Order: sequence, then C-alpha cells, then structure tokens
Amino acid sequence: MKKILRQLILMVLVSLPAISSDYVVIANKEMKDFSKGQIKAIFLKKLTLVNDMNIVPINMGATNPVRLEFEKHVVKMSFSRLKSYWTKQHYLGHRPPITMKSQESVKAFVKKVDGAIGYIEANNVDDSLKILYKWSD
Amino acid sequence: MYKIVVLLIFVISLYASEYRLGEGKKIDSLPLYMGGYFSLDYRNMGNENRYRIDDLAVMGYGNYDKFSYMAEFEFKSFYVDTRKDGVSTVTKDQSLHTERVYVDYHINENYTLRAGKYSSPIGYWNLLPVNVLRQTTSNPVSTNIIFPKFTTGLQASYSTFNDGELSIDVILQHNRDLDDSYNNYKIDNHYGFNVLYGQDDYSLKLNGGYFETINASSEEDKRYYFMLSGKYDVEKYQIQAEIGFQNSSKFSATTPYAGYIQGLYRLSEQHILVARAEAYKDNVLKKKEQIGIVGYAYRPIYPVAFKAEYQLHSLSEENQMLFSVSVLF
Repeated sequence: MKKILRQLILMVLVSLPAISSDYVVIANKEMKDFSKGQIKAIFLKKLTLVNDMNIVPINMGATNPVRLEFEKHVVKMSFSRLKSYWTKQHYLGHRPPITMKSQESVKAFVKKVDGAIGYIEANNVDDSLKILYKWSD
Repeated sequence: MYKIVVLLIFVISLYASEYRLGEGKKIDSLPLYMGGYFSLDYRNMGNENRYRIDDLAVMGYGNYDKFSYMAEFEFKSFYVDTRKDGVSTVTKDQSLHTERVYVDYHINENYTLRAGKYSSPIGYWNLLPVNVLRQTTSNPVSTNIIFPKFTTGLQASYSTFNDGELSIDVILQHNRDLDDSYNNYKIDNHYGFNVLYGQDDYSLKLNGGYFETINASSEEDKRYYFMLSGKYDVEKYQIQAEIGFQNSSKFSATTPYAGYIQGLYRLSEQHILVARAEAYKDNVLKKKEQIGIVGYAYRPIYPVAFKAEYQLHSLSEENQMLFSVSVLF
C-alpha cells in the first residue's frame, strides 16, 4: 500500500508544470531599447543619461523577492557586495537608485516620469508600459 | 574661508534626522549630499611606535541636470605622535588640504567632460585611496611612486556598455596643482590615458602618461609611466594586481618596476582575510625591496573597519605591524 502511495505522489509531482515566475524590466513607451548590460549599468549608476534625458532607475525594497531576483539575474551581485559597492560610490559622489515599496508604485512612477526604469513581475504589466527585458527564475 | 563653511554645513548635517552611517546626508532640498571619513592608526616598527590621526575629511557632492560635482577637503597626518628610545615627538599638520574639487558635464550617454582637481584614474587603488575603503591600513608602494595621484585640469571620458564595459579617459593638466602640498608629485604638466575593459567578474586597465614637476629644469624632472592592472572579483574572493614602470624623458629608468598582487578572502560579510606581495626598484630613492603582507579586516558594518596587518620586508629593519580604525560618514 505504501509503495502504491509513493508511486502516486511521484506521478503527481512529475505531471505538475514547473513553478516559475517571469519578471520584466519596464519603462514608458518613449524609452529606447537597452541591452541587459546597459540595464545593469543603469542600476549601478554608470549610465545616467540617454538621448539628453536623465535615467531614473527604481529599486524595490532591500528584501523584496523581485529585487533579489533582479540583482541575481541582471546585476549579478549579491546584496552584501552591492552594499560595499554603494559605500564606495558614496565616496565617488554617486547615489544608489531610489526605492519604492510596491510594484504598483513602480508602475505608476514609470508611467509618469520620463527616463524612469523599474522591474516588476510579468503578470503585472499592462499595455501602457514598454518591456525592455524579460527573464524567468 | 569656503572650506570652513563646508565643514560647518557637514557638522550641522550630522545632527539631522534619518542619517545612516556611510551614506552621507542630503542637505534639505539642495542638490547637495555631505559625507566624510576619518582614520586612526598605530604602527610598531622595531623600537619605534607611532600613533596617528591620519585622515579627517569632509566631502560634498551632487548633481543638477547634466552637471555633477564633488568637493573634498582633508586634514592629513592631523596628529602624529612618534615614540622612539623613550623620546616622544609630536607633529601636527592642521592645514585643510584640497583633495578633490571638480565638475562633470555629461555631454551624452557616452561622453563626459571633467574640470578641476581629481584622483588620476590610474589603476584601481588610486581611485579609492582612503583607509576605510581598502582592506589594509597600508598602501602598496607602487601606488605612490609611479604616477601623480592627483591631476588638476581636464579629463575627457568615453564609456560604452553592452556585454562588457569599455571606458577610455584622457587626462590633461597644463597648469599648477590646486593644492600641490597634497600630491605625491608637485607637477604643472600631466598628460595621460586610461583604458578599462570589464565583464561581470573581471576587468583590465592600461594606463600611460607623461608629467613634469614644477619648473622642470632637468630631464630628470620629466617622467613617463605605464601601468597594467587587473582585477577578478567574485562572491568569496578577489584578486587584484597592478604593475608599472617610470622613466625619465632621457629614457633612464627612474622606477624600472613596481607592482603588487593582492588577494582577499571573505570569510563572511564582516570578516576578511588579505595577503599582498609587493616588489619595486626605485632608482631615485635608491631602493629595491620585496614586501609580504598578511592582514585581517573586521567590518561590523561596511563603513566601519578595524584592521590589523603584518609586513615582512626584504629590508628587515622595516618589518612592521599596523592597526587602524576607520569610519566613513
């Protein structure tokens, strides 16, 4: 009986689709396209001006899971390395990106402010936003 | 007078709310952030003990539209008490030096123009030259003898980002230093270049340049230099190396070689082990030396560092032990 039960559980697990999330980097419709490397440079404040427009990257809160995914996949730096990076940047005269608490706030800010760039879960995107980059965890 | 005003604004800003160490403080609605740093260190070398308040600095920076700026003023070797054979000697340099003052104009996404006094963009070490931001109390000798640490003049920069990062800087000085008492060479001409290519974990730099000391009268006062640097940085460890040489304009080698290789191992976010090997030959100082350094840095939070290191020199009378405490505001 136990053996049948184990086999049943295994079959159910195998037949389930892999649970994964999709994420997107967004801007308003007028923003030009960026490569993944350029998006990383924008969030590290190495690239600050595009087409005569100041770029405004927006981070989620420090422990937000969407931010952790973004930093792992796009910035490719851990939270502790980023902390040391921004401490050094303070000496060099650069500030970290502004932070917002919710994906709704990021969307509203991106729609309203020219040059704003943020990241959210893909299922929160609407037609008024431009997707610059998409990835799955 | 303007330096005192900057210092006063900084002190007042520290009383403001919502201040977090190592992040600076925004001054009301102005495009101005204030910060600073200090370091205390102790050195034991044979029968000599030195206690020092070394760095005491204040800085302000900000940006407006396509412009950004940085100003930094510093007391260097503010208080030094050296004790040898029972005799204590105290020296105080209480003049406030101009370390960096510059304005950047961002022409477009690729080009930036800088005017003022700035850290020469040579190698990696010279761009973060303050105690609290490095993992050893000491600096490699090579970062002090090959090139002028600071340049007063113009800098034109090009940068592009795709799969990797490519940056090119051209540095131009054809005037006196803004504060030549605060530079390792007193220069009135400096022309150089910097090329950096980097990917996620590694980067390489190539530097070259020419400089003249003030009122250069002999060929010995006109020097060329070249540097090659590399860095590999991942989560647990970092390896960084810089090597270069310097010639006088008559092509006699003033520094035939000087360089270092340094490894960091991050036991955790707070605990860092460091080892460095250095070698140099300086024909002006008439010195040739190899140095081995082992050290440990404890950072309860990143902007605060407690560091210890031991230096083993081929000139054994220079073996020494160093301790320091440093904080970035």
